[in-house]
Amino acid sequence: MSNQTNVKLRLSNSELWGGLIGLALGGFVIWSGLKLRLGTINDPGSGYVLFYTGILMCVFAGAIIVSAVTEGGPTLASRWENVRWSKPLLVIACLTAFSFALEPLGFLLSSIPLMLLLLRLIDPVRWTLAVPIAVLVPSGMWWVLKRLLLIQLPSGLFGIG
Amino acid sequence: MDTLVNVAHGFGVALLPINLLYCFIGVFIGTLVGVLPGIGPISAMSLLLPVTLSGTPESGIIMMAGIYYGSMYGGSTTSILVNIPGEAASVVTCIDGHQMAKQGRAGPALGISAFGSFAAGTFALIALMLVAPKLASIAIAFGPAEYFSLMALGLVVLTFLTQGSMPKALLMACIGVVLGLVGLDSITAQPRLTFGRMELIDGIGLVPVVMGLFGVAEVLLNTEQAIKRDIINTRITHLLPSKEDWKASAGPVGRGTILGFFLGILPGGGAVVASFASYALEKRLSKTPERFGQGAIEGVAGPESANNAAAGGAFIPLMTLGIPPNVVMALLLGAFVIHGLQPGPLLITQNPGLFWGIVASMYIGNVMLLILNLPMIGMWVQLLKLPYNILFPLIILFTILGVYCSSNNVFDVHVMIAFGIIGYFMRKLGYEPAPLVLAFVLGPMMENNLRKSLILSQGDLWTFVQRPISGVCLTLALVLLIAPLLPSLRKKRELVALDEGA
Repeated sequence: MSNQTNVKLRLSNSELWGGLIGLALGGFVIWSGLKLRLGTINDPGSGYVLFYTGILMCVFAGAIIVSAVTEGGPTLASRWENVRWSKPLLVIACLTAFSFALEPLGFLLSSIPLMLLLLRLIDPVRWTLAVPIAVLVPSGMWWVLKRLLLIQLPSGLFGIG
Repeated sequence: MDTLVNVAHGFGVALLPINLLYCFIGVFIGTLVGVLPGIGPISAMSLLLPVTLSGTPESGIIMMAGIYYGSMYGGSTTSILVNIPGEAASVVTCIDGHQMAKQGRAGPALGISAFGSFAAGTFALIALMLVAPKLASIAIAFGPAEYFSLMALGLVVLTFLTQGSMPKALLMACIGVVLGLVGLDSITAQPRLTFGRMELIDGIGLVPVVMGLFGVAEVLLNTEQAIKRDIINTRITHLLPSKEDWKASAGPVGRGTILGFFLGILPGGGAVVASFASYALEKRLSKTPERFGQGAIEGVAGPESANNAAAGGAFIPLMTLGIPPNVVMALLLGAFVIHGLQPGPLLITQNPGLFWGIVASMYIGNVMLLILNLPMIGMWVQLLKLPYNILFPLIILFTILGVYCSSNNVFDVHVMIAFGIIGYFMRKLGYEPAPLVLAFVLGPMMENNLRKSLILSQGDLWTFVQRPISGVCLTLALVLLIAPLLPSLRKKRELVALDEGA
């Protein structure tokens, strides 16, 4: 790994960030455990295991941070080097939008645009194929689930589906 | 005699038309996901977990088990013909299998892989029939301390074998435990980490977590690169290996089977480790180790037998102790729990039809797989040409529907998408999801057994050391935790460490 992609005490060190996130999560788990009551060793309370798991998390996160500082680690940018990073980002954006749209719009009105976007964004499928797949697959699944298996899918504010 | 009666009873259950159908669906989907690179048995099983709700427990579990051992067969086809492992346990088959295919010997490579898998699968089943009832009768004497220590050992072994740094894997396991504890405390009924949301009172569902971490995250990772495929285009002939091939493969198949079976039983182990261990063993025992990597049939026969035997062996700790030794078995445990069943020492006596039915179905499934993977090989080769830009959106749609149908709750779809995004970033930063999922399943059981044993021993921590089985498990776990600190052992770990989730 080149010096530019393997750094020690720099904010771009991805290992350092991973460790810091772990440490923060560990701290939160310890605090939650304390809040829930630890109990005693004879009669452990609801927070007993959480508290000690939080401590272990901090220990392991600490080990990751120490290793990141002493041995260095790849930069955040190098993790996305030579890959089509925009593709997963677009899929994530589509999924996030879908998760917000599912309840108000219902299954059909939200999944047809999702399918169309995914078919066109990942490795573009030609329109003449993408449109029928995006319409027929969700509609077919909706029909099978609703009519044959009697599973109620979200119909949204417009009551479609 | 009892075993024969039980086996006959099992075949009575497995041969019911509905169970035969589910068994066929399972092994068919297993071969399908094994053949398709990028989708492993974990993704497929998590996708189909909600489907098990619609039938009887026997049907659902027969199908899920079929996916697992079916994927072991299918994975080798892609490794041999395309040089891309269909699933993680077939990584090692690429080395010699694809070389054989390039030399025009794809037929014997596929043939020995299927026959070796069949022989190993059959041995593993017979051993399962003989060992499981005995182990179950011993396991009745296990107390909470033994269960806690066994689960702790399983988690440590898995973190030891996971790719990347051990602190990262251990951190993932701890996060898994915490996520598993979300919801009502089983002893005090106090809500924990629910943030006032009613949906979290029953805890986070296994289905959205696994579908997110393995299904959605896998698709996100795969979209980063255009998958290139170098498919062997020649017609596949001579699937039956020659006399020389059989002679060269008999030893590797036998050794791979025994090694794989025992590695499969060990907590944290599994098919991936078994295939690598078998390859290393065959190379070491060979008089001409230089042939390995150049198309040696032993390099296909051994690992393929080992991964199938391990898949069979992995059922033993789940069925007899109720402890899943790997993530795939954790999903199978989820299927049991969905049907209100608890695998463990009493499963065989209380639900003999279920246990022996599953075992018998696995034998039938192995025969189905032999037929699916040899005469119908052409169909799977055609499938390798399926465009991924259509397949990935379909997988996402199926995961969304699968999660929604398992709970009829939009909240679970949000959870799945969130875990999909988290899983993607985790994998990019070198954090493997396998320890998290196993710990997520084992976490509540571990907590329960830890608290029970502390209450029973009146807070005496020595109880975990004084009880022999518990003491041995904890000592082994401690050795594995310390091992990566020693440079020589760290190197060995890096050699066997694998991506279980692939």
